[in-house]
Amino acid sequence: MESELITLEIDGQSVSVPAGTTILEAAKTAGIDIPNLCYLKELGPYGACGVCVVEVEKCPKMLRACSAKVAPGMVVHTKSEKALATRKLALELLMGDHDGDCQGPCKLNCPAHTDCQKYVKEIAEGRFADAVATVKETFPLPAAIGRVCPHPCEKACRRNLVEAPISIAQLKYFAADQVRKDGNEHPIKVAAPTGKKVGIIGGGPAGLTAAFKLAQWGHDVTVYDQMPEMGGMLRYGIPEYRLPKAILKAETDAIAALGVQFINNFKIGRDADFAKFRSWFDAVIVANGAWKSTSMRVKGEELQGVWGGIDFLRAVVTGEKPEIGERVAIVGGGNTAMDACRTAVRVGAKEVFVVYRRTRKEMPAEDIEITEAEEEGVKFKFLCAPDEILGKDGKVCGMRLQVMELGEPDERGRRKPVPVPGKFEEIELDSVIAAIGQRNDPEGFADLPQTPKGTIAADEGNFATTLPGVFACGDTVNKGAGIAIGAIAQANEAALAVNAYLRGGEYKPVKPILSERNLTEKDFADRPRIARAVMPQRPAEERRHDFKEVNLGLSPEAAQAEAKRCLECGCHDFEDCKLIRYANLVQADTQRLRGAFHPGFTEQKLVTIERNQRKCILCNLCVRVCAEQAKQGLLGLVGRGFKTVIKPEFKDPAATAVCKDCRLCAENCPTGALRIV
Amino acid sequence: MDRAVIESDPHSLIEGMLIAAYAIGASKAFVYVRAEYPLAIVRLEKALADAKAHNLLGENILGSGFSCDIRIKAGAGAFVCGEETALIESLEGNRGMPRLKPPFPAEKGYTQAPSNINNVETFANVAWIILNGGAAFAAMGTETSKGTKVFALTGKIKRGGLVEIPMGLTLRDVIFGIGGGIRDGGTFKAVQMGGPSGGCIPEHLLDTKIDYKALGATGAIMGSGGMVVMDSHTCMVNMARFFLDFTAKESCGKCVHCRIGTKRMHEILTRITEGKGKEGDVELLQDLCNGIKAGALCGLGQTAPNPVLTTIRYFRDEYDAHIREARCPAHECAALKKYEIDPAKCKGCTMCAKKCPVGAISGELKKPHVIDPAKCIKCGQCVATCKFGAVAVK
Ligand SMILES: Cc1cc2nc3c(=O)[nH]c(=O)nc-3n(C[C@H](O)[C@H](O)[C@H](O)COP(=O)(O)OP(=O)(O)OC[C@H]3O[C@@H](n4cnc5c(N)ncnc54)[C@H](O)[C@@H]3O)c2cc1C
Ligand SMILES: Cc1cc2nc3c(=O)[nH]c(=O)nc-3n(C[C@H](O)[C@H](O)[C@H](O)COP(=O)(O)O)c2cc1C
Ligand code: SF4
Ligand code: SF4
Ligand code: SF4
Ligand code: SF4
Ligand code: SF4
Ligand code: FES
Repeated sequence: MESELITLEIDGQSVSVPAGTTILEAAKTAGIDIPNLCYLKELGPYGACGVCVVEVEKCPKMLRACSAKVAPGMVVHTKSEKALATRKLALELLMGDHDGDCQGPCKLNCPAHTDCQKYVKEIAEGRFADAVATVKETFPLPAAIGRVCPHPCEKACRRNLVEAPISIAQLKYFAADQVRKDGNEHPIKVAAPTGKKVGIIGGGPAGLTAAFKLAQWGHDVTVYDQMPEMGGMLRYGIPEYRLPKAILKAETDAIAALGVQFINNFKIGRDADFAKFRSWFDAVIVANGAWKSTSMRVKGEELQGVWGGIDFLRAVVTGEKPEIGERVAIVGGGNTAMDACRTAVRVGAKEVFVVYRRTRKEMPAEDIEITEAEEEGVKFKFLCAPDEILGKDGKVCGMRLQVMELGEPDERGRRKPVPVPGKFEEIELDSVIAAIGQRNDPEGFADLPQTPKGTIAADEGNFATTLPGVFACGDTVNKGAGIAIGAIAQANEAALAVNAYLRGGEYKPVKPILSERNLTEKDFADRPRIARAVMPQRPAEERRHDFKEVNLGLSPEAAQAEAKRCLECGCHDFEDCKLIRYANLVQADTQRLRGAFHPGFTEQKLVTIERNQRKCILCNLCVRVCAEQAKQGLLGLVGRGFKTVIKPEFKDPAATAVCKDCRLCAENCPTGALRIV
Repeated sequence: MDRAVIESDPHSLIEGMLIAAYAIGASKAFVYVRAEYPLAIVRLEKALADAKAHNLLGENILGSGFSCDIRIKAGAGAFVCGEETALIESLEGNRGMPRLKPPFPAEKGYTQAPSNINNVETFANVAWIILNGGAAFAAMGTETSKGTKVFALTGKIKRGGLVEIPMGLTLRDVIFGIGGGIRDGGTFKAVQMGGPSGGCIPEHLLDTKIDYKALGATGAIMGSGGMVVMDSHTCMVNMARFFLDFTAKESCGKCVHCRIGTKRMHEILTRITEGKGKEGDVELLQDLCNGIKAGALCGLGQTAPNPVLTTIRYFRDEYDAHIREARCPAHECAALKKYEIDPAKCKGCTMCAKKCPVGAISGELKKPHVIDPAKCIKCGQCVATCKFGAVAVK
């Protein structure tokens, strides 16, 4: 009987299987994967999850494919509207009741989604080369970015709810420095050549990241830059005392070592026009950054002694020794202003003012930068806006400042500065540095579509421009100048898009569906407080006279101790979790059916198994394997309805005595609820 | 109803079961009774002992060569243990949780042996039918529903209790004829048919015939034969919430649609009755109802949405009033009640102000009083106190 073959139709495919086969197994033979969460072939069906539902023609009820047997002539639809809706509802119900973090908040908040949790753990375990390799899965500049990144990851770090965030950025550059010193970096694999040529304009973090990725995928990449060295603003904007050029150079050299060609002192628009450049390559990425200082639009800007912030910084880097005199004012409150004022101190100015139209609280610069500038003797003039730059014989001699006060909050909630009528102040100066912003230089790129702001218009998802095969990313596109890791994030997407384009396809990023926990300080009330690592620094009095690096770096011991503070928020099972895989498959809305969570607790471990009931979906597989395969029958369901949980509690010593540590339960758990530790 | 049969005529059950066992060749039979019904258990035990003493039960019954034993299984009272496969699990000493069907109990039931499960009332009818013939039974009732059925008539009815009626009477016949209509001079609003997993039927469908098909068309079910009559003071949203509270708590927790779905439905209904409902909640409920019906593993989950679906179908305006106007038209939902003093009726006796436990009522002697809604905790003391009926609940 059992060997008799039955023919039926599944999703339009004819399938023949022995009688007694379930629809789920029959579909598998035809290569159709019917989602299932509580089924295990060896144990037979159970029927709890309801995600395997299928519609069978002429059958009024939906069937569970894991248990329903095939019948001759059956017509099964695994993806009919009703089957999909019922399956999706099951997954939305599960996700709405799921109190777990698929990914750490650090990783989610990093614009490039660098796997912070992973490399922090690798550092905690002393596996520094692995940590660097982990960072390099996302971008090629861990030592540089670790030094300069304003670390949005740390703002989201859960450890904020305990005492202070993990020093994620400092750990990153510690690992990179250590591996450089030890000379044990893992080699990076490069795929066989594809024969496709990609030209990249701009060797800043965006261009370099795209080159790094595309080279690994086997493309022939050349980066063109107008400047003598690669690095973009990391080299010509950010001063040496924050990011030593030699460290940056080591990282750009490593990119060249992958086979990426660097061509410097080559300016698009001067040495070749864009159309011609385009014709040399199969695809092109424009990453020319924001290299034009924004004007202050006040009288006297044409005077000798008035500098653009980035122009001043670049001049210092290229050794032009700009003459700024003894009394210098920097206008602006962002990071460029901080770099400019601290550089002014270092090139010998006696009195350096920062003129900012709001108060310290509103300054966009990183707080640590402001503090360090203060330590180095910079004076701040808050609530002042330049009214006129005063000159004598064509040279700056001072500045008249309009006194401001804070008015109504703007749409972002920042209070708008408004002039106090008739109230002015004058300061004597030798030079003025306008560090109020920078934008892209459109010269030479007229062929490319522009936004109303004048930046290059590129798709927000795949960074394609309207010109076929031309992509653009970084500070030059859309919203304009931002932070380096933001430019890197865009470059990664652009690289994927170029890769797809070169293979004849199109890349369309999809936002992954994730489970995220919503926690407060209360949830961590019982955590021991552990102080955050303190970065050793050179004293202000010493460092203000030279360009040597201000931060001295963490010791391996300090770094490992710091990394061990990590709470390991993201789920260990993310790669294998069937729940999240299916939730993405059906595009489940995780919030639609949010409500109270089922009872949950993280328990101590049972021999080598740790359980987190909050991630349990009650598929009962652990209970069943423990009874039927391990023959221990240790686990069971307790309670009714929504309050049902798996017992006994793992901390129960009686349970530990019965468990034979076969780990079958953890191996078969479809989610991250059980973990082998 | 079944309890009444066991308590008052246990032999009718025993006889029916024995005939059924004989028919299918079963040697073992169980009566699954809730442990909370001790009288039923005591009487059934005595009846079983008496039957055994007369060799009507046990080995070689009346020398026929047929043996069958009936045992009582006292269940812990979980609603879902009435579901046939959960009942089998429970009989086997496992957690009362439904099994997948197929295999149906008739193929693989108790200890994997073919089994038959019937309701007490069904068995109690067997002897009568054999004595009087099938035609006599079929002569009662309608084309699709034959014979008689026992109902438990309760709620805002003048004469409540158990009634056995031939199928095919109308709801109006039972409620207004047998039950004598609504008590305390109230007006009929709806009747909940079939227990917590049934549905409610509104006034304009009172002439519906009591028949499986006709009842099913209204969205209700025959079910256990529960008939809860409601008058205009019953809030239909609150009623749905009440039933969902029951089913959500009684869900065995095995399948996702029922375990989490009924909980979410209950949460949504609760927020609506508290005036915190959101636009779109009714659609969300409907979506949940349809999905749970399709996806739940057993009858409990598959029928749990019925009270919600039928109240939305017939009383949508009550849902909307709660959600859009934070108003309970039946004045039942405590959180939405507003207490107000009618100045025309208030004599300024100050009695209510003295009674109010939170001092929410103020006013001078012999002048109309007012209630501060911000302080009022909606305890209803003022209404009970006022001799002039001046406090109105809105
Ligand atoms: C002073 C300053 C300090 C900053 N500090 C920080 C910080 O601490 N942390 C942080 O995260 N971010 C900081 N930023 C921002 C960060 O540097 C930028 O967001 C990032 O460098 C942008 O990367 P990009 O690759 O898009 O552009 P860029 O780094 O600007 O690179 C663009 C490259 O294109 C080249 N180029 C331009 N035009 C042409 C052309 N026509 N032909 C050939 N080559 C061309 C340029 O020479 C340059 O190398 C700072 C910016 C400035 C100005
Ligand atoms: C949740 C649930 C609870 C039930 N409870 C009972 C019950 O208490 N008594 C009963 O006789 N049948 C109950 N049933 C119905 C039985 O499972 C079964 O279908 C019925 O007893 C079959 O008998 P009948 O065909 O004679 O009506 C319940 C069904 C479900 C889904
Ligand atoms: S168990 Fe799955 S869904 Fe839950 S947090 Fe882990 S990966 Fe995400
Ligand atoms: S504690 Fe660790 S995993 Fe959690 S957010 Fe912070 S760095 Fe990331
Ligand atoms: S590891 Fe222990 S609890 Fe898990 S299945 Fe094996 S015996 Fe059971
Ligand atoms: S812990 Fe057990 S019941 Fe919960 S999801 Fe994992 S295997 Fe399933
Ligand atoms: S529908 Fe409810 S009672 Fe029935 S198996 Fe599912 S969870 Fe249990
Ligand atoms: S119900 Fe079929 S796999 Fe869970």
